[in-house]
Amino acid sequence: MSSPSPPARQPLPEQRTLAILLLIVAGFAILGVQLVWQATKGQGRARLSISEPIARSFARPDIVDRSGRLIATDLEAPSLFADPALILDVDEAAEKLAAILPDIDQVQLRSTLADRSRRFVWLRRGLSPRIAQRIHDLGLPGLAFRREQRRSYPLGTLAGHIIGSVTIDNRGIAGIEKFIDETVGVEAILGAKPAAKVPVQLSLDIGVQFALEDELVRATRHYAAAGAAGIILDATTGEVFAAASVPELDPARPGQTLEAARLDKVTASTFELGSIFKLITIADALDAGAATADTVIDVRTPLRIGRHLIRDLHPAGRPLSVREVFTQSSNVGAARLALAAGSDRQRAFLDRLGLLRGGRTEAGIIAQPNVPLRWGEVETATVAYGHGLAVSPLRFAAATASLLNGGLQIEPTFVRAGNPARPPGPHSAMRVVTAETSAVLTTLMRRNVTLPTGTGRRADVAGYEIGGKTGTAEIAIDGKYRGDQVLASFVATFPASQPKYVVLVMLDRPQPAPDTAGQITAGHNAAPTVARIIARAGPLLP
Amino acid sequence: MQLARNDRSLLATWWFTVDRGLLSAILLLAGIGLLLSLAASPAIAVKKGLPAFYFVERQVVFVSLAMAVMLVVSTFGARAIRRLALALFLVMLAAMAAVLVVGDEINGAKRWVKVAGFSMQPSEFAKPAFVILAAFGLGEAQGRRDMPGLGMAVLAYLALVMLLVQQPDVGQTLLVTLVWGAMLIMAGQPLSLAAIVAAAGAMGMVTAYFTLPYVRLRFDRFWNPTPGDNSQVDRAIQSFVEGGFFGRGPGEGTIKTQLADAHTDFIFAVVAEEYGVLACLCLVALFGFILLRVFARSLDESDPFRRLAVTGLALVFGIQAFINMAVNVGLVPPKGITLPLVSAGGSSTVAVGIALGMILALTRRRTDVARFALPPFRPNRDVYIPTQTGV
Repeated sequence: MSSPSPPARQPLPEQRTLAILLLIVAGFAILGVQLVWQATKGQGRARLSISEPIARSFARPDIVDRSGRLIATDLEAPSLFADPALILDVDEAAEKLAAILPDIDQVQLRSTLADRSRRFVWLRRGLSPRIAQRIHDLGLPGLAFRREQRRSYPLGTLAGHIIGSVTIDNRGIAGIEKFIDETVGVEAILGAKPAAKVPVQLSLDIGVQFALEDELVRATRHYAAAGAAGIILDATTGEVFAAASVPELDPARPGQTLEAARLDKVTASTFELGSIFKLITIADALDAGAATADTVIDVRTPLRIGRHLIRDLHPAGRPLSVREVFTQSSNVGAARLALAAGSDRQRAFLDRLGLLRGGRTEAGIIAQPNVPLRWGEVETATVAYGHGLAVSPLRFAAATASLLNGGLQIEPTFVRAGNPARPPGPHSAMRVVTAETSAVLTTLMRRNVTLPTGTGRRADVAGYEIGGKTGTAEIAIDGKYRGDQVLASFVATFPASQPKYVVLVMLDRPQPAPDTAGQITAGHNAAPTVARIIARAGPLLP
Repeated sequence: MQLARNDRSLLATWWFTVDRGLLSAILLLAGIGLLLSLAASPAIAVKKGLPAFYFVERQVVFVSLAMAVMLVVSTFGARAIRRLALALFLVMLAAMAAVLVVGDEINGAKRWVKVAGFSMQPSEFAKPAFVILAAFGLGEAQGRRDMPGLGMAVLAYLALVMLLVQQPDVGQTLLVTLVWGAMLIMAGQPLSLAAIVAAAGAMGMVTAYFTLPYVRLRFDRFWNPTPGDNSQVDRAIQSFVEGGFFGRGPGEGTIKTQLADAHTDFIFAVVAEEYGVLACLCLVALFGFILLRVFARSLDESDPFRRLAVTGLALVFGIQAFINMAVNVGLVPPKGITLPLVSAGGSSTVAVGIALGMILALTRRRTDVARFALPPFRPNRDVYIPTQTGV
């Protein structure tokens, strides 16, 4: 070989390389032995442990009112869990915990902590930071916290029936909360809170909602009623500004939904609403051209159909025009108009107004109406003045809005237009009555309030041009109608020159009060309640 | 694709000379690593409020990058490797010096520097570069008196260790020192020199124990375990017991939700709990195979530089894997050292790619000039007959 080849080098001692190799192979062997030893340790005992789910808490978007004011939000709170396998002394842990959480079930706590086959068990979800710190300071091994999202309702029971409630895992189970889960969705999380989502903006106004609830609670007390319900909605868009049911429901206490009295009266219940239904009967007659406001109807004698006798509360003793049938609330007149139309047309008209179906809103399912099994002459006559057919107040308010807003059908909604939770759907406003009929109906409503003898005169509030109709429906108890148990309701609209709002108030079984002259009819209780509500909420309405 | 034996293109040459057994083992390990990251990282990502597959997606990118870098480096010749190592070493030393000034402090140590929006750990890249330089120095010291080879290697070691201690990074210091000591021994340097290194290392550990509180804490807890406080390691060991031989089944593990480092330092424990100790043994065997294969191949190598370089690189790889797994099963105190190609992490994964590329490059079959001078049938290859030229 020729230069320049590399210089010769000493060979590397092979034994040394092999020695190093031996060392590291020995290390790997020890590793293997340790692995096998650890695995055999666990073979002897039964391994029954519940593996911990990765995500169990859910982050929800905020709920705000139409002006962006907060109604519901997520707060982060520590939740306490235990790893029973790491608890050193079950008695000590249980005693110290019980000292800080006095309401915890000690017996159950002990048995939970003593079950060493479990590696994860919740002890208390959603602690206050102060309590969590005190538990942390106990320094007990095997206890740890996990930060979870808890739903908080800073306004308490306000709009509780609409908001609904969530489970302990922060998933919606009722009302708007359930709707959120089904539409915009909630995010499963563990640990850090994700970026804030676009809040769900409701059509409610919390100011109007408070005024409505406050007045309904007052009315319930004042008239010693069993309950009350009220709705204020936009007559042209169907957006609900306020809806309340008394007694109220606390969204933070889902258990309350089990009390029958707290069932939502606005959407989840149906009622025979009584005379306010005459608005619909007259609308049908006018719109079909079967009558005008001046058509005269003979109401001098009670109407006999088979074995049924339909009579007026205060018989006029003379024929009445359609206009007077409305303002004097003549059952006979309404029944005769409906009979002239026939049951088929009556049903078709009710169906067009949405009164023969349930459906659902963002706040939940609308109760199915209670439709008579057999729709004969008698039923046609009674439905004309609001008996024999039970509908949800929300559906009735929406039907009234459709009749008075110029005649275009609306669907009630609780979510503000434009919010991601309410995608713009195919909007084809179906016409239910002509604009002329709508105008006549509005005039009738207004006359009923302005006439000195009108049943709605106590609902008037200066400056608001209120029009309205009373309804006092006898309640059937065990299949018999009783004169002293009534459902007093008042449906109103304002301003009558161009209806923008529809208000419906319902009092369940009101009693005579000092200012009702011994009466329990709607003109004496529901009508003044509506006046008070409009006087308070009117300035707040958009 | 078929390559002809007489094809002299870069690809063909590489294909016929590279150690394909070793290459297959590495690719298998990388694939398994990605599979295992699916077990551990989603839980951590969700815990940190990130998308569930955040770490998995990142790891796919890093492992692909590492494999690409490895394949490119494996085509290099010895000289190119040395140049790459020198450049890498100098740049990374500078970066490590910079880290001390501008680095982000994480868990009480400054190890990370931001480069173009990515966090990078320069010490990971310095390790393979150091091994190459040390191997070169020690190899030169073997034959040439005119080159201060040993001095160069000592200098490189001191520079690296000084910067590691400043961070401070006890685990990496220990790793580098172990590899350096082993290389001294393998290079045929006097054993007294290795003893000095060992003594200095031991002194360093004692100093670290008394000056660095977290080291002290970890050691104390390791030797005097009390229930409850050593929770990361306790939890990890527990998972080997609970997993048994066959594991709880994929996705059934609980440890990953409780360990902060389940996707990095403690991924071995996650594997144990979900796939069982048998799967862990397979993983140990795979690391062992890579190590043995490189060593076996190196014994056929006559060039001291190549032999020291590949064994040194293999030792970095193997000792790192060993320490990580030993921490997981509770044999040694926690160190903060990752499992190569399996733990999540950009810097360590890509650096391992470079190191493996260097090993592949230096173990490629070649015409050995020194061998030509040997008798065709040597009775015993331990008897070395020096060539008559040159000296």
